[in-house]
Amino acid sequence: MKRSQVWLLSLFVALIAAAVAAPLAWFVAAGISARQKPGPIETRVARTARHFMIPASAREMKNPETATPEVLELARNHFADHCAGCHANDGSGASEMGHHLYPRAPDMREDQTQNLSDGELYYIIENGVRLTGMPAWGRGGYDDEDTWGLVLFIRQLPHLTKKDLDEMEQFNPRSPAEMQEEEEERRFLNGEPAPRGKNPNH
Amino acid sequence: MRRTVLVTLAICAVAFTAAAHGNYKHVLGVVTAITDTSLTVETQTKETQVVKIVADTSFVKSGAPSSLKELKVGDRVVIHAKPVGSDLVAHEVRFGRMDRASGSAGKN
Repeated sequence: MKRSQVWLLSLFVALIAAAVAAPLAWFVAAGISARQKPGPIETRVARTARHFMIPASAREMKNPETATPEVLELARNHFADHCAGCHANDGSGASEMGHHLYPRAPDMREDQTQNLSDGELYYIIENGVRLTGMPAWGRGGYDDEDTWGLVLFIRQLPHLTKKDLDEMEQFNPRSPAEMQEEEEERRFLNGEPAPRGKNPNH
Repeated sequence: MRRTVLVTLAICAVAFTAAAHGNYKHVLGVVTAITDTSLTVETQTKETQVVKIVADTSFVKSGAPSSLKELKVGDRVVIHAKPVGSDLVAHEVRFGRMDRASGSAGKN
């Protein structure tokens, strides 16, 4: 083997080693904590990878549903019930969960989400995204009317009104403690004394 | 030492409660004064609480949309308010009798 070939081979091996060691070192240094936000490079790499990992046939799918008021209302209530826990009713990601996920729940009103194709949104909702908080909500087919309705609703997120948001609150999941609190508030408004042992002004 | 532990637990409990309520503070009491920009409420523990009213504040009377004009001194109110600095800013003010069907105005 010629000396130049040895150099080239050494350089190649060194590059491979660096390519493996650098992310490993970064991962070890960063640990598994989700307290930090992903950096811009990690975000770019992850989004690019996501784009290429969604099959082209899925990216190009067209939404078979039409944005009628009935379909949008159903999807809006579905979003409030299933998605808002992380994404917030307005899609901003400003929720207790959304703020602490890694990566953070995105502001879906912005271009990074709105520029995704209908097919990409459908695929993400149906299949979820590994190593994020996004679960797979569907069975993996291409004909889930509810998911296509959600895609239509996501397009409406930048234009929601306060009335929409107020109505959505009725569909947000509630814990037993919150339901009990609502009952206590209802009883208070009906003239009953505030519950014993409970500080009404907490 | 015991005091430190109790204070820490109390802070944790308050923080947990605030988080569970979506960071809104719930004020239950009787209205003692009304202006265009604030409500003064006497709570069940006889404390006076002033809550700011802003353009986005919504009013719900017996489960239906309402307005500040319909609220009277002496009414019982449940206010969901957001702490902003040292102030409380009302997100929603509920008043009027509520039956079970109209009692659910959502999660705050």
